[in-house]
Amino acid sequence: MRAAICCGISSTMLGSATRAAELRQSGAAKAGAAAQQSSGVAKNEPAKVVTDETGRRVTIPLEVKRIVSLAPNLTETIYALGLEERLAGDTDYCDTPPAAKLKPHVGGAQNPSLEAIVALHPDLVLATTSINRIETVDGLAKVGVAVYTTHPQTVRGMLESTARIAGLMGAEARGSALVAKLQARLDAVSARVADVPLVHALFVVWEGPLITIGQNTFIADAMRWAGAESVILSQQKWPRISFEEVVRLQPEYIVFASDHAGFGAEELGALRSREAWKQLRAVELGHIAVISEEINRPSPGLVDAIEQLAREVHPEAFRELENGKVKMENGHGPREMERANFGVQELRGLKPRDLSANGLSPLKRRPTNQERAAEALRAAIKPGSTAASDACAGATL
Amino acid sequence: MKPLTPGRILAVCGLLLAVLFVVVVISLRMGAYPISISEIVMTLFRGVAGQREQIPSEFWLVVFGLRLPRIALGILVGAALSTAGAGFQALLRNPLADPYVLGVSSGAALGAIVSLVIAPHVPGLIQIAAFAGAAATITAVYFLGRRGGQLDSPTLLLAGIVSASFLSAIIMFLMTTLSGRDIRGMAFWLMGDLSSPAAIDLRWLYFILLVVLGSIYTTSSDLNLILTGEQEARHLGVNVKRVKLVVYIGASVLTGLAVSVSGAIGYVGLLVPHVMRMLFGTDYRLLIPASALGGAIAIVIADTLARTVVAPTELPVGAMTALAGAPVFIYLMRRKVR
Repeated sequence: MRAAICCGISSTMLGSATRAAELRQSGAAKAGAAAQQSSGVAKNEPAKVVTDETGRRVTIPLEVKRIVSLAPNLTETIYALGLEERLAGDTDYCDTPPAAKLKPHVGGAQNPSLEAIVALHPDLVLATTSINRIETVDGLAKVGVAVYTTHPQTVRGMLESTARIAGLMGAEARGSALVAKLQARLDAVSARVADVPLVHALFVVWEGPLITIGQNTFIADAMRWAGAESVILSQQKWPRISFEEVVRLQPEYIVFASDHAGFGAEELGALRSREAWKQLRAVELGHIAVISEEINRPSPGLVDAIEQLAREVHPEAFRELENGKVKMENGHGPREMERANFGVQELRGLKPRDLSANGLSPLKRRPTNQERAAEALRAAIKPGSTAASDACAGATL
Repeated sequence: MKPLTPGRILAVCGLLLAVLFVVVVISLRMGAYPISISEIVMTLFRGVAGQREQIPSEFWLVVFGLRLPRIALGILVGAALSTAGAGFQALLRNPLADPYVLGVSSGAALGAIVSLVIAPHVPGLIQIAAFAGAAATITAVYFLGRRGGQLDSPTLLLAGIVSASFLSAIIMFLMTTLSGRDIRGMAFWLMGDLSSPAAIDLRWLYFILLVVLGSIYTTSSDLNLILTGEQEARHLGVNVKRVKLVVYIGASVLTGLAVSVSGAIGYVGLLVPHVMRMLFGTDYRLLIPASALGGAIAIVIADTLARTVVAPTELPVGAMTALAGAPVFIYLMRRKVR
């Protein structure tokens, strides 16, 4: 019986998202207790009480000298901020940048040793709803360790988290500089793809069973920044879909993350030889984008992945960068011809502008460069204002 | 086989208690935080004497905040599961019976999942819902497993197994519809995990454990007679119906208690009673306390290994019990056959 249940789980594990909602609720319930207990570590040091992105109140020393990161995206953020000297430890999964592998490890992100964390004498532990278990956060709070949990849901949420982490560590200036730089790069990408139609793509989280992304994941948001929209419209985080549905929808592009089961450029041939996949026009045409695994992590590296994806799915928008030619007129490039042949929009009966009715189209909603930077900074100063619902887990796994 | 005297029972229990104590001290010593035996003894001594301010705060944290609560939880769960296993093996007169054979763990798992669906992560709710699920299951199985107004072992066993598969099917259904939610915590829970501190005060749990253990123990000499045959026992004046009911409820409560705080830790409830039988004989007057202590020892060892073999990552203790338990069991079984 147990074995049967476990099978059920392991196949659903990938599809599992987080318990952000759970975190928030328990955060409210435990707020008082956690705030009291966490003063146990920072005994006589001056401390401040902040509310983390899940609504938990955390007492953090004013000067954070030692930090333990419990997730790869958080480790990467700390390195991106140039604050790695203060990173006392991270998890077995933290491999980016490579130097992170040399830090003392406290175990896996889902089952770290609480003792190993305590042994590193951290002033602050960073966790995230997308991969850590709430039991870990509860356990640390119970023994008086300050844990700040991030909950990035979108690309902008990632920028806000980055600024907040910098703020917690007393490095606001570095935080706003990094955020402004990332924002400028994002704006450059969105300016290029602003006038071309959204590409309808299938993001493959896992092949067997076929798992893709829902609309409310940060990956879907990142894809929209790159001018791509997931063909699957689902409120689930990591919906398991039937291949028939993909054949029916005929996505224009199929997007893989490069770490996915050793997926590389040569796998295109393999895909073409597979009975099911070769029915897809995207496979026939070689419209397969293999992008950096950074797409799976809400960290500053996500911007690299967005740039890469935009180049893959909108080569015409970036053409003059490569050969100095002027950007082609919309709808007249070779890619547009192919797209017309697809008739994809008729097939799926959903045009990009339909998405804006759901408030989902970033083409309409994208604010200007300055607005966004200002917004991110405002949000960074006022924590605890992130949007609801769950974050990514399957992808990071 | 030597005759069973109160002296022998005390001697065996004393021996097992001593082993448990040694295992606990070793377990306290092991872990990611470096701390020596003398420092542990010092911390324990001062902690018991109430001189908390003289202990370095991190020693206090590691010993009293992290390791000791986990060991205490392990002892509770191990004792509960092994006693329940011994009880079910007698009640069902089946050597394959374990605490989960009647569907208690499936009921608890269903309760836990339903609580995750309805009120995601309210502290302590998962445990209460799991216990409620276990209680509902054992009640249903009790009524399904009666024949002629009293518990009939084969009927009870069948009712339990059928209920378990039915509940598992519901669990799987909920799991698939839940794919957008977090099932990570649930996965650990189903494998059996002691790393999450219990949300319910351990003193209450120990109180329940001791009361139930005591009531099961009152039936131990009757259980010996029932094992020779229900008719014979009845002729000798045993109230078979009452004994079965006490053991059924007691073992089920113990299982529900263990499952709700630690998830479904496998193997211990099946193996430990058999090992104790091989070592100390089949008399339930000795077997029940020996199983309780043996189960506690087994879980503390398994959990110590679970948190140290791939340190600093922690394994679910359920994986460890099966991994370490099966070879020990096979060894003892083969030795007995010879």
